[in-house]
Amino acid sequence: MSESELTMATGHEVLMEASPYHIEKKKLGMWVFIVSDACTFATFLFGYGYMRVGSQNWGTLFEFSSILNGIIMTFVLLSSSLTMLAAVRATQAGQKASANKWLGLTMLLGTVFAILHLREWVKMIGEGWRLFYNPMGGAAQFGACFFSVTGLHLTHVISGVIALGFVARGYNQGRYDESHVETAGLYWHFVDLVWMFVFPLMYLMNAR
Amino acid sequence: MHDMTAHAAAHHAPPQGFIRKYVFSVDHKVIGIQYTTLGLVSAFIGMALSWAMRIHLAWPAASIPFLGTLSPNGAPGGVPTPEYYLSLMTMHGTIMAFFLLTAAPMAGYGNFMLPIHVGAADMAFPRLNMASFWVTFVGFVLACATFFIPDGPPLSGWTAYAPLSAVGPVAGPGQGWGQNLWGLSIALFCVASLLGALNFIVTTIDLRTKGMTLSRLPLATWAWFINAWVSLLAFAVLLPTCLLLVLDRLGGTSFFIPGGLVVNDKVLPHSGGSPLLFQHLFWFFGHPEVYIIILPAFGIVAHVMPTFTRKPLVGGWKVITYAMAAIGGLSFVVWGHHMFVSGMSPYMAMVFSVPTLIITIPSVIAVLVFAFSLYGANMRFSTPMLFCLGFISLFISGGIGGFFLAQPAVDSYLHATSFVVGHFHFTMGLSAVFAAFAGFYYWFPKMWGRMMNETLGKIHFWLSFVLVYCVFMTLHLMGLTGSVRRYSQFVADFMVPLTPTNKFITIAALLLGATQFIFLFNVIWSRFKGPKAADNPWHATTLEWDTTSPPPFDNFGGRQMTVYHGPMEYDGDAFVMQTSTEKSIAGT
Amino acid sequence: MSSNEELGMGSYVGIVIGLMIIVVIEVVLTYQHLPVRTLLFSLLCLACLEAFVGIMYLMHVKYESRLLFWTIFPATLFVLVMLNYLWPDAYRMARMSLGK
Repeated sequence: MSESELTMATGHEVLMEASPYHIEKKKLGMWVFIVSDACTFATFLFGYGYMRVGSQNWGTLFEFSSILNGIIMTFVLLSSSLTMLAAVRATQAGQKASANKWLGLTMLLGTVFAILHLREWVKMIGEGWRLFYNPMGGAAQFGACFFSVTGLHLTHVISGVIALGFVARGYNQGRYDESHVETAGLYWHFVDLVWMFVFPLMYLMNAR
Repeated sequence: MHDMTAHAAAHHAPPQGFIRKYVFSVDHKVIGIQYTTLGLVSAFIGMALSWAMRIHLAWPAASIPFLGTLSPNGAPGGVPTPEYYLSLMTMHGTIMAFFLLTAAPMAGYGNFMLPIHVGAADMAFPRLNMASFWVTFVGFVLACATFFIPDGPPLSGWTAYAPLSAVGPVAGPGQGWGQNLWGLSIALFCVASLLGALNFIVTTIDLRTKGMTLSRLPLATWAWFINAWVSLLAFAVLLPTCLLLVLDRLGGTSFFIPGGLVVNDKVLPHSGGSPLLFQHLFWFFGHPEVYIIILPAFGIVAHVMPTFTRKPLVGGWKVITYAMAAIGGLSFVVWGHHMFVSGMSPYMAMVFSVPTLIITIPSVIAVLVFAFSLYGANMRFSTPMLFCLGFISLFISGGIGGFFLAQPAVDSYLHATSFVVGHFHFTMGLSAVFAAFAGFYYWFPKMWGRMMNETLGKIHFWLSFVLVYCVFMTLHLMGLTGSVRRYSQFVADFMVPLTPTNKFITIAALLLGATQFIFLFNVIWSRFKGPKAADNPWHATTLEWDTTSPPPFDNFGGRQMTVYHGPMEYDGDAFVMQTSTEKSIAGT
Repeated sequence: MSSNEELGMGSYVGIVIGLMIIVVIEVVLTYQHLPVRTLLFSLLCLACLEAFVGIMYLMHVKYESRLLFWTIFPATLFVLVMLNYLWPDAYRMARMSLGK
């Protein structure tokens, strides 16, 4: 943040020490949040690992059709990272229309991901999966782990889509600038990268 | 978070209207006072609960006033049932550990002082700051609400060990909605602490005024900064743990409940979970948590002491800061020492025992820095200084017990005894409270613009100090005789001879509690009738003493604060403010 | 990390396609019927690679100050490493057949 931006309520300039990170404070805040959220996800995944290692009858559960759905979801999410990058670049270049297009596309892809994921959930629940019940006769823990880990991720995706909506609106109204979009982008990429762990561990490790 | 504008911290105008000014305020000073007040309220609630427990331990048949009204089932006629005794203990631990010890020294004083210490107008994200207080408040209300639901509060301890905490109402009174509310309350507390930690980190890094280099940061701010990192990582693990616990309770999952468990003659439908997983995850948070409590205490003492010893701390800012950073890091590698008798892999005991002994090294260094700094000092025995000295004494006394408990073989004997109760009350409980008192007496003039009464303060200190030793040193000794924790009555043969000792502790505890009303009176009386405080009544050097008492809305009245010195420029009566352009007199 | 030259959009497209290829490799590996441990190890390595590339390029850490890298990575990895202390007890649970 440049020094001239930091002005006290009286309107007179206050000199500050430069940030050792040379990034805006909200970006630093987002990074700090990401560190903490990564630990939260890690705890869920370690809990899943613990359940699985301690189980005697885990079994293999996912048909290829589910894996295929997972691959499509992964690709959708990865593409949304790309559109997010494009949106950030457009805001940095001051191209409002283009930025809106890319932000909208990112939100659309996020929504598609959520819908695909919920479809998977509905299908599994229809097959009899519950948090505490495994219709295939193996460890009941699988349902618990699957729904809680992917549920946490899905919550992040959905809140990300909503947050992007707010940021896009603020950006169009001129309340937010490109740095806000960039900060939101950091969160979006993080949610994307978490999925890079959830997909292999939850889906591929359980492929039939 | 995204709607935080870039200039919010610097630009927001003074709010109008009572609600925006004092209730939903984004001003860090108001939020700091809100947290401090919440801590005070928690302290008195927690203390009342400990009174009820102590009275019951000493006179098992005695009717405790108000308890019968509060819970006709849990304490018929005012005599708590064994289950209700555990509920009292759980809520005492929860309210004290989370809402007093975690909230007050860090979020309370930290919110008020940290931005002023670094020379900023507010925290980095003021609205986030307001959110974290109100989330904490909702968590506090949920925790207290457990007293008023039919079943009463949970009885699984502040550690909420599974499977007792996870299996639901079948496990006893309070294990229904009481435990659910507890889980939600602590999950909210985690969220609030994470937001608070984030804010502290970014403020310390990004909002330092010109000249406020890291080496010139006041030591309390260093402690809050290090502590914010520890909180950030530790609460990030407790949050999912609470969520999984709530899932076990409400969603029917079995993360923490083993198969074939029989509770109250009922076979539970769960299978495949592990109570050890809960203990691991809880203590992964829980051990850093005790340092989250004690690091701000170190910081406050390191900040307050030089003002009254009139000389810099031994080793300057570096030794104490590095020691605090080392404690913060090592606090994550020792959690298994809470689990020596839990059925954890025995090989792991050694893996956790050795780092536990290693973490005593930076702790001892920090305490020795304080103790050595007294040498050759031109001491002023004001109340804050007395409490600092009390802190040093209590922390050493409690810390010595740690050497015993760190060794698996010795711990196997002492683990479930009141030795542990005495140990943690000395180290993380009363040490932190004494440091918090030091901070309170020290910063009261700045927070409210009036001085506290010194005579009452000194009476408060000496009575507290002596009585704390009476209570908790005796608990250590009782633990060595094998007196068991968490028993509501001492009826086993070998414990009957301890009854007089128990009565002694109870009387001391009641007096100790009564002493705190001297403090409460002093606070309320001084708040309204105390003599007006000067801007710098203690002749201290840091930035908070460089502005009016209490500070204006933007902290410095629009002045440019430029810092030229470290925080410990003392030489006897002479001192150099951090913002002064005079020559350094202490070479810091 | 020192370079401050941003990549063009084309390079980012390349990076994301690279990440997608890694995902395909993961899926192919899954159907090779490797021993569970080998599969887990390979998948985790690939996932870490993806995360690293993602953090460095998509999240721009490569173009930020070196200090940011040295803050977020050690902090997060520290917690991830420490959580591995859980495994001895998980394996004991399996060996003692408590997990039925």
